[in-house]
Amino acid sequence: MSDSAGDPAPERSDRVLLSASGVSKRFGITQALDDVSVDFFRGEVHALMGENGAGKSTLGKVISGLHRQDSGQITIDGRTLRPGSIDDAFNAGVRIVHQELAQCPNLSVAENLCLHDFPRTPWRTVDRAAMRRRAARLVHRIEPLIDVNAELGALSPGHRQICQIAASLDEEAKPGAHTARVIVFDEPTSSLSISETNRLLKIIRQLASDGLTIIYVSHRMSEIFACCDRVSVLRDGKFVATSVVKDITEADLVEQMIGRRLGAAPAKQQSPGGEASALRELADGHERERPTHTKPLLEVRSLSSPGKLQDVSLKVHPGEILGIGGLVGSGRSELLDAIFAIDPRAAGQVLIDSVPNPRTNPTDLIKAGVGYVPEDRRLQGLFFDLSIAENIVVPYMRSLAGPAGVRDLKQERALVQSRLDEFRVKAASPSSLPNELSGGNQQKLLISRWMHKESRVLLLDEPTRGIDIGAKTEIYRLINHAAQRGDAILLVSSEMPELLALSDRILVMGEGHVRGELSGADMTQSNILTLATQETAPALA
Amino acid sequence: MPEPEDTPAAPSSAPRRSFLRVLFSAQESGLVIVIALMMLALTLFGGTKLVTERQSIPEGSSVIVYDTEGSAHQPGSLPQRLLDRIVVTTPDGQELTYSNAWRYDEPNGAPALFTDVQKNKFFEKHNLVQIARDASFFAVMAVGMTAVIILAGIDLSVGSIYALSAIVGAIAMNSLGPDANGILAVLVGVAVCTGIGALCGLANGAMTVGLRVHPFVITLGMMAALRGLTIIIPQKIYGEQSITGFPESFTSGFFKLDIAGVYPVPPIIMLVVALIGWFVLSRTVFGRRVFAIGGNETAARYAGIPVGRVKILVYTIMGALAGLSACMYIGYYGSAETGAGMAYELQVIAAAVIGGASLMGGRGSALGAVLGAIVIKLIDNAMIIFEIDQSWNQVVMGSAIIVAVVVDQAKRRISGS
Repeated sequence: MSDSAGDPAPERSDRVLLSASGVSKRFGITQALDDVSVDFFRGEVHALMGENGAGKSTLGKVISGLHRQDSGQITIDGRTLRPGSIDDAFNAGVRIVHQELAQCPNLSVAENLCLHDFPRTPWRTVDRAAMRRRAARLVHRIEPLIDVNAELGALSPGHRQICQIAASLDEEAKPGAHTARVIVFDEPTSSLSISETNRLLKIIRQLASDGLTIIYVSHRMSEIFACCDRVSVLRDGKFVATSVVKDITEADLVEQMIGRRLGAAPAKQQSPGGEASALRELADGHERERPTHTKPLLEVRSLSSPGKLQDVSLKVHPGEILGIGGLVGSGRSELLDAIFAIDPRAAGQVLIDSVPNPRTNPTDLIKAGVGYVPEDRRLQGLFFDLSIAENIVVPYMRSLAGPAGVRDLKQERALVQSRLDEFRVKAASPSSLPNELSGGNQQKLLISRWMHKESRVLLLDEPTRGIDIGAKTEIYRLINHAAQRGDAILLVSSEMPELLALSDRILVMGEGHVRGELSGADMTQSNILTLATQETAPALA
Repeated sequence: MPEPEDTPAAPSSAPRRSFLRVLFSAQESGLVIVIALMMLALTLFGGTKLVTERQSIPEGSSVIVYDTEGSAHQPGSLPQRLLDRIVVTTPDGQELTYSNAWRYDEPNGAPALFTDVQKNKFFEKHNLVQIARDASFFAVMAVGMTAVIILAGIDLSVGSIYALSAIVGAIAMNSLGPDANGILAVLVGVAVCTGIGALCGLANGAMTVGLRVHPFVITLGMMAALRGLTIIIPQKIYGEQSITGFPESFTSGFFKLDIAGVYPVPPIIMLVVALIGWFVLSRTVFGRRVFAIGGNETAARYAGIPVGRVKILVYTIMGALAGLSACMYIGYYGSAETGAGMAYELQVIAAAVIGGASLMGGRGSALGAVLGAIVIKLIDNAMIIFEIDQSWNQVVMGSAIIVAVVVDQAKRRISGS
């Protein structure tokens, strides 16, 4: 780099510490990053913003070497980093503070901070005093209240995060490694309280004024405006714009994130070309008949669960699809778990067809005609040791079975065959295992478990996650079909176009509360996003 | 990965897998082959042994022995090397001739003919009967253990449940006295033993589910606690370590019923339990729920399966089967001792695992468990036949378990399921 002052071009390149150029990354069928280029300056807090799945987290992970990009490069101070190498990024001074980053909750704070290199006594045992000193030096720079002898798992989420930050600042972390120059914070406040958030934002400002570059991945408006210098917006994996925070309004940012001017035609009445209406076309072909509002089929009265849900009430009528919008972690899945009586600590009332349900266990709800397609089909949905047929029939085996619980194989086979045919699940045979199916077919298998003639209420959590457009269309058709038959459907989705296309009304959630309800012309992407990102603003003292 | 997602409807009427393929791909068929090979090897290489056979002479028969020159003698007066043949004339006039391989003797005043024959050490009635009998005692428990392991659980207390059931069952039999009615004795014996076992299993299951403690811990504690009870109870009541004096009808009248030198009752019980176990695990709702919970407990909850209830029931059945096994044991041996079933948990778990049960849960078979038990007993038997020091037994057994699991996993990786 040139040292000569006065030259305008070198001045700019002097400010740039790290730059991503032409970065692309693909996961399966999803193009997570598409030719993204962003420059990050020395000593700035630079926010990466976007909706769920816009690619902001992925970019942070590519920069820190957690993901290996398909093309493009990351350069720091003129040196190109080896793609996908955490070591190389680390040695160059790039650190990441990440929710899922490995920590050992069963060890003390001091041990966690010295895991990579325990100080030793001359007898090769761990020098506990030196370990504590080193940990204290790192942690107390940020938060003097943390006891380095405490078990990490016993700390509050905020303090745990501070320990992570402290670890990332350790100049002795690795011999030969550059001290921290760039720290990537990936959604750092999602599990923090307001006061912890405020303290973290202050720490981040402090680190920036010490000369570090902070990359701040978040979708929380107020935090961006409270602590960031510049903000880059990504949408569907593409770079949209980089702006100086004090020159931009919240409305501008939302517009950049959803790619449309605020106050434009609401999605439901959009002219052809809008993604939502295109999806609706795909799903149905024609507009579904709007439900005439009679008695609600599903009614939830002030459902709460400690730390997850706060006083949620809703009604879904026969034939109605109620969408649940909100960001990841806003309590959407927790709401469905509470309704389905999976969450033992949930309190409140659930009425199916005006009949209060004792909500002691899911079995009663299944008998009442409730079906639940959970968010994670691998973890919560399918049985990978059981055949496809049994995966479908498991909740109904008992009611089909003869005396003493002996299975009625004939009836089971008939039921399975009709479901596989109706739902066009592509399987070699009903006796093959779910692993032999594609993701889309696995999802159809799970949905077909719950959609049947006697079903009345369907809880769908991200029913099209990670599947391709063909299978999505198929699933939209099935959801619409169920609604036409008179089922009440509660749909959780992070994909805005999907939510807008399928829902009759949308409830927006945030931090376990219902933030608002949208219907008709108010159902727009920007309204949802505004409600979802709205929060008690962390005031920076 | 682009998938041909939506080519028209599923080929739902796909051809069923052929019977032979199903037969060969089953876990059990591998075990059957292993057992067959082991039996073949033991037959071919096990060698032979000299066995004296006895032919009793009906009372009132006349016995005449002839020497090589054809003259008749009184039995016992002719040296064996001069003997040509023995002719026995029964009271109803039948005349039976025996070659000079036989000799006449009157041990304890009962006249009989004897001969020495070379017999295969392994493939011989008494040996095979013994293997079947030894296997049955813990194959019955292995069926229950398979269900527990499919559930992704474990039961370390089976040996102690077995001992406690045996002791309490023995007390009941002892108090009935030696002349009790046969049907009554068997019914009471089975009911008491399985009842005590089921109670212990119920305690295991209820504590595991209710206290949310890993079954390893609960059953480890129960293993010690129940073993203690088996020592205390007979001491308090009889002041002895073993209990005998059961109804004849309970022992030689049923569990040790002798039909032509074979004791068929324990192996028959083993087969019946295996078949019922297979049926329950594959053909009843309860059985499939066990698989579902073991394969994915979270998904099971989301599918509305009463997870806690199923778990408790599985542990209860495990206990009941340990009780049944104990009943077979006291019926067969006519006594119960406080040391019974020591370290049985190891053998039982080994049988289930060799039989294809996965400790990760979600996989296993009742028939496999029985075959696993037979494999273990064949290994035991091989040690005896090849006259290897019994101390090596544990080493070989342990290695067999590890080999079985490694082979099973390798097989899975290759078949890609």
